[in-house]
Amino acid sequence: MSDQRSSRMEQILDMLVEEIEERLWVRKYRPTEVAPAEPLQPVEELATPSSPVEAEVEPPEPGSELEAMPPESKLEEEIKPLEPEFEMELPPMVTGPSHAARLMGRLALGLLVAIVLINVPLNRHGMTLATAMPDRAALVITDGLVVKEEDDDEIYVYQDGKLRWISSLDAFEHFGYTWGDVRVVEDGFIDDFEIGAPLHVLLKCRQSPHIYRLEGGEKRWIRDIITFTTEGHIWEDVRFVTCKHLRDLPDGETIPPGSGPPPQP
Amino acid sequence: MNNLAIIETILRSRNRFFIEIREGVELSQKMRAMLISSIAFFALYGAVMGSTHSLWQTLSSAVKLPLLFLATLVVCSPTLYFFNLIFGSNQSLAQNFTLILTAITVTAVLLLSFAPIVLFFLLTTSQYQFFKLLNVGVFTISGLVGVLFLSQGMRLVSDSGKEGVSARRNVVRLWILIYAFVGSQMAWTLRPFIGAPGLDFELFRQLGGNFYANVFASFGEILGFFTVR
Repeated sequence: MSDQRSSRMEQILDMLVEEIEERLWVRKYRPTEVAPAEPLQPVEELATPSSPVEAEVEPPEPGSELEAMPPESKLEEEIKPLEPEFEMELPPMVTGPSHAARLMGRLALGLLVAIVLINVPLNRHGMTLATAMPDRAALVITDGLVVKEEDDDEIYVYQDGKLRWISSLDAFEHFGYTWGDVRVVEDGFIDDFEIGAPLHVLLKCRQSPHIYRLEGGEKRWIRDIITFTTEGHIWEDVRFVTCKHLRDLPDGETIPPGSGPPPQP
Repeated sequence: MNNLAIIETILRSRNRFFIEIREGVELSQKMRAMLISSIAFFALYGAVMGSTHSLWQTLSSAVKLPLLFLATLVVCSPTLYFFNLIFGSNQSLAQNFTLILTAITVTAVLLLSFAPIVLFFLLTTSQYQFFKLLNVGVFTISGLVGVLFLSQGMRLVSDSGKEGVSARRNVVRLWILIYAFVGSQMAWTLRPFIGAPGLDFELFRQLGGNFYANVFASFGEILGFFTVR
């Protein structure tokens, strides 16, 4: 029975200590907002028989340990000296830059320096340390990607899920590509893709009504408008050149084949 | 309080930090310090990511990465606040905001600590898909630790309200999922952060596709199953 009482007494004391701990801490870190200190919750109130467990507490028997305990007001005073001890138990508050904070600052500064260094252009082409790695393995297949296999001169452009062969240098220039756009890929890369219609450039001079398709360095005469549209050409593909330039190009097979001797511009 | 010292407080004495939030101690100073630190750290990490492409991408990512996290914070914090309110929380919006900002700051610190590793891979590999997935991994780990802090903080701060404790915990769990979805969609909207090789610099890329499908496709390309198109 006395064991049961002493354990309840300990519970009450624990509650008191927790309450004091909480208030001390708030006072310490909120000095400007300190409200008039509320009186400590009396032990009597804590032991109010509000719960069945507490209701079972009986008055101390004469001569028992509980009777020898000091009254509540004295209990408060006895707990007060615990303050410094409790304060020591609390982990110290970080108020200035300590080791980790300093390290973080230095790391941030070091990174900033590294970022600047790797972005400094190393040559007149603007190559930086960060972009110096060959990007063959870093290709992103997207519309407009221009590729060429290592051992093949043919250049392809990726459009609408298909690779389209660029049939001539004129076509390459006509469609606005530059050598800087061309990504060299390993042999066999193109085999993984569906091949679309080739990209041709159509040549015409202003003094002549004829339109020619440039293919493999030769000009191929397109017989009529029906053939022109059937072949999938549009007027935007037509590039105007001088008639002399056209005449200098060797004749290839007409479109469609066997349409007779091609007229000269 | 020093901006960096507050981070050390979060990392070393998080319980005390959360109790301070519960008590409403110096909330505005805390928010300011965390905002400054996390913006700086995100900007640095963003700059590292963008360095793979060009100087413009470096600058763009340095601005966009802090924007990504702050925009996600602004979008998501009212949800957490009002749901907590419904389930009996007595926290203020400022307390909620500070708690989420704590999670974001922890994420920023971890990203900063990962930055040298990412920089190392930037200089030694050229596999775009690998680099992208490396960053997804880094963000996932940092984000998870960040929300773990948030979860702990919420427990400590909101358990002072007597009612609906378990409901509020579930709200936090659900909110973390929402936060992840909003964050990933926000990242997808604000992309590119790395910049695809072979493409010109773009401030924003056209919408289309989604974050998860792209991550899946990148895995597929790394493992050699298909090519990302």
